[in-house]
Amino acid sequence: MHLIRDVLDKQLIDREDCKMGRASGLIMQLGENTQPRVTHIVIGGPALWMRIRPGLRKLSTKLAHLWGPKRKEPVTIPWSRVKTVGKDVNLDVEAKETGALDWELWIARHIIERIPGGGSKEEE
Amino acid sequence: MKKILQLTLGIVTSVGGFLEIGSVTTAAQAGARFGYQLLWAILLGTLCLIFLIEMSGRLAAVSKHTIVDAMRERFGFPFFFFVLIGMVIVAFLVLVAELGGISFALQILTGIRFPWWALPVSLLVWLLMWKGTFSLIENGASLLGLVTISFVVAAFKLGPDWSSVGSSLIPSLPDSDKANYGFLAVSILGASISPYLMYFYSSGAIEDKWDRSYITMNRIIAGFGMTFGGFLSMAVLVAAALALRPKGLQVDTFPQAALLMTTALPRWGFYLFALSMLFACFGAALEISLAIAYFFAQGFGWSWSEDLEPSQDARFAFVYTIIILLAAVPLMLRVDPIKVTMLSMALTSASLPLAIVPFLFLMNDPIYLGKHRNGWISNAVVAIVILISFVLAIISIPLQIIGG
Repeated sequence: MHLIRDVLDKQLIDREDCKMGRASGLIMQLGENTQPRVTHIVIGGPALWMRIRPGLRKLSTKLAHLWGPKRKEPVTIPWSRVKTVGKDVNLDVEAKETGALDWELWIARHIIERIPGGGSKEEE
Repeated sequence: MKKILQLTLGIVTSVGGFLEIGSVTTAAQAGARFGYQLLWAILLGTLCLIFLIEMSGRLAAVSKHTIVDAMRERFGFPFFFFVLIGMVIVAFLVLVAELGGISFALQILTGIRFPWWALPVSLLVWLLMWKGTFSLIENGASLLGLVTISFVVAAFKLGPDWSSVGSSLIPSLPDSDKANYGFLAVSILGASISPYLMYFYSSGAIEDKWDRSYITMNRIIAGFGMTFGGFLSMAVLVAAALALRPKGLQVDTFPQAALLMTTALPRWGFYLFALSMLFACFGAALEISLAIAYFFAQGFGWSWSEDLEPSQDARFAFVYTIIILLAAVPLMLRVDPIKVTMLSMALTSASLPLAIVPFLFLMNDPIYLGKHRNGWISNAVVAIVILISFVLAIISIPLQIIGG
């Protein structure tokens, strides 16, 4: 597998076919006597913005503390949860439990569902 | 049978996206100033758009990727983000122009000035997106948009000289006023080749679940739909050349543009013009708002579909809500919609390489398209037209600004 071509920036899908963002970074483990190996996929947040400019990493972290779901740790998915890598990357996880949908749910709850006709609240 | 119904996707894309305030204003100004002489620009723009729309549909049918999906994956986040900023700025200005077109149409129908219409109109566009489904938007806009055929009736009734119409399909330079001629050519190309149409169309193909069996149908839709749109634009230019040019009118205001219809159809022309603008701009406003929301959602991998309840694709719904409401603000502050239109069309032309060059790379990539990738003819046609419009834009926009 070609990590940059086949995994980075690919659409991530959970086990219920829910879109949960794109692979914005990969975490690798470098051992002295072992081959480097990928341990996690990172979703959204500072990992994404630092790809444009390293300075944007701090800025995006600061802004995220001002507004929204205020998550402290970046969202990471262990590589062992990767089911298939094809057109999309399918993961054996539930998107809501990983934190990947924190913003989606926050905007749904705080803005969209408060507008008439925005949709049901019973799911939550 | 379902596939035949899908022709409506092509028609709405052309009526709602092709004939809108941009193409009507640029074609009317061109006709009023230079007679038939700029018809070649519409022909060139339409030809290029047929190829681009066909490619957008083929990419979706073969690879199951929208353009934005493929762009983010193939070129990575930093490049995607750069294109996102450029495209959103241009598309936003076009959206302001379309909302202005609707508001202006309501102004000439009711007498109430356009700034008062800006907010109600943007709320109505938003409401349709909020409650409507993709097929409602697709079919509703295409049926209502058919009223724009009245431009063709007007053009025929004015009795154009067909041999000079035909000879204007070959480019030529005017004797004077070359800077303005160049600027109008650029604006016509920008009004014809709108990247948001491609984003809308490729997302629509995914919403309608196209697969490889749609490749032939896609070709017919792109060819038929865009030719239809181009034909309507040409009718506007011809009607303006015959109705406005002899009176020396320049189409700086909307009521002047209405004269291109009332001269041919004194009784109904005024209402037909207002309704044509109303429906065509409305369809375009829906398409652009959707295209911007698709761009964000697909690029960042959020859930998106016009058929889901807003709470199920909250970030997608949030983007179009904000964009539509913001677009009403300049109009409420009385910014002239015709000026915004001309500016946004020229900027579209200048920004075409940003949208089209990466797209051409994708269309030649065997990973996405396998044996269905572009042949040399489609690559050459699109590359040449994009180069022409970019060079014209770089030369004529500064000249237009200097010349006022």
